Amino acid sequence: MDASPSYIQSYCTIRDRSIVLNGTIFLKMDIATPLADFLKSAYRQLDIDYPKFHKMDSLCKAIFIATELMARHSGPYASDTALIFSNRSSSYLSDNKHATGIFDTENQTASPATFVYTLPNIALGEISIRHQLHSENVFFIFDRYLPEFLVPYTEAALDDKQIEHAIGGWTEISEHTCDLLLYHIGKLGSIPHTVAKLKRIYNEHE
Amino acid sequence: MKAAIFIVGDCVISPLGMGSTLNFEKLLAGETAVAPLDDTTLADHRIHAARIADHQWVGKIQNASKYTRLETLFILAIQNLIDTYGIPVDRRTLVILSTTKGNVSLLHNPAARFPESRVYLSEMAHEIQHYFGFENQPITISNACISGALALSVARQLLQSSDAYEHVLVVGGDEISKFIVSGFEAFQALSDGRCRPFDRDRNGLNLGEAVAAAYVTKNPTDDAVCIRAAGSFNDANHISGPSRTGEGLYRSIREAMRLAGEPALDFISAHGTATVYNDEMEAIALHRCGLSAIPLHSLKAYYGHTLGASGLLETILGIHSLRAGQLIPSLGFQHPGTSKPLNVITQPIARPMSRFLKTASGFGGCNIALIFEKV
Repeated sequence: MDASPSYIQSYCTIRDRSIVLNGTIFLKMDIATPLADFLKSAYRQLDIDYPKFHKMDSLCKAIFIATELMARHSGPYASDTALIFSNRSSSYLSDNKHATGIFDTENQTASPATFVYTLPNIALGEISIRHQLHSENVFFIFDRYLPEFLVPYTEAALDDKQIEHAIGGWTEISEHTCDLLLYHIGKLGSIPHTVAKLKRIYNEHE
Repeated sequence: MKAAIFIVGDCVISPLGMGSTLNFEKLLAGETAVAPLDDTTLADHRIHAARIADHQWVGKIQNASKYTRLETLFILAIQNLIDTYGIPVDRRTLVILSTTKGNVSLLHNPAARFPESRVYLSEMAHEIQHYFGFENQPITISNACISGALALSVARQLLQSSDAYEHVLVVGGDEISKFIVSGFEAFQALSDGRCRPFDRDRNGLNLGEAVAAAYVTKNPTDDAVCIRAAGSFNDANHISGPSRTGEGLYRSIREAMRLAGEPALDFISAHGTATVYNDEMEAIALHRCGLSAIPLHSLKAYYGHTLGASGLLETILGIHSLRAGQLIPSLGFQHPGTSKPLNVITQPIARPMSRFLKTASGFGGCNIALIFEKV
């Protein structure tokens, strides 16, 4: 039985070079567009003024864009909205950048602006600042999207903390690819927060 | 009513040695693992850090050459728990790994002898799972410097919400690497000597390495310690600096205290990294909670900041302190150095104790507070 006491308020997928909010395309670009350019275009299309965005690494940028879009549909988020995220590569993009700098034989460099992004949960800090979320954050590392773990864990977290909302999902980014599914969970609605439903949403992004 | 969850066993591998009892005795004797370190593979100048000597673990696991240094330490700690407590290696047992950077020392390192894919934490988890033949995929948590304490809270919640697992092994670890040293140095966060948590003259942290493991279950033993309550809140203020008002830590402690029924605390095991801003933030948060008078220590001057292990390591030593009825002094403290006063422990006072508060804070603005209580 896949019954669930919570419902999906909104969901966002970013894959290849398209961003889809609740099944509707927000942005679609040519597959050859560099990921950084694509994320920048998405930011422009959001039409907001948030200079901190430009300092972020791609993991934070993608998560920022998806949470911003979901907030337009089902926000503003309650300040106790729990953040339960996961991916495979942790903060690999920034790790790679920092490690490249420190092993450069010509010009060894280590920059605080890069190093601070070498933790995956920094993205949770970024969206907590943006949406003023004072809540529990947890970042899990798995080899693939694992709703079988995340759905019951999220339901238990809501029950344990006596709260009604969470944002969670899968946020896998590499240099050229993005595989992101985030969803906003609440107590009322029509789309059940179940493993089966999330598997369908994860697989149906065009 | 949710089931009570207990820590019934532990293992510590640190530069002071293997075994939590040994480590506890060494702290009471005032021994520290922080020492000057001249190693050009880490930095082009001397740093002060707490590093595990290789002879402590070399040759102690099977097919040792197949595993990285950090994986070997994780495996040793898990093996120790399995052997000591007779934990079954089957579907009832879950491993939770806590680390900030895992095998990151391999990344772009010309001296690395493992494929770079091992930098991925899921690969590391896979190696550890298959060494023992665990049926369940380990759950890996990477949530900055609260990872170890957060992993205990996650273990508690998993055991309370599901009957799928009976035994949860929570294992935290990180190693010192050029990656981490250069990064903390770029932040100008490293102390030029042994660190001085909460002291007036503190000027930064020491890095340390340790692997700490806790055996968490619903079934208490005579000397078990209950994970009474947890609170965890983000500052929502800054990604790399602590909140000036200690907001997230204040909320975390308040939540844990509320859930535990506002109990009397015997001591506080603080995060206490010995950076100017962190320790000040903690003093403010504790003051706001009305807990400034509770005896408090930081163990960072003994072990350095062991990152993903720290919350677990410090909790395990806190449990020993509780059981032995012996407060652990906060090494490195001489002069009060925070705007709100704290009752920093300077002598190994003996007294009967029941419970303590453990706190941790990390990059990304995350904070956690846990309350542990003797059965």
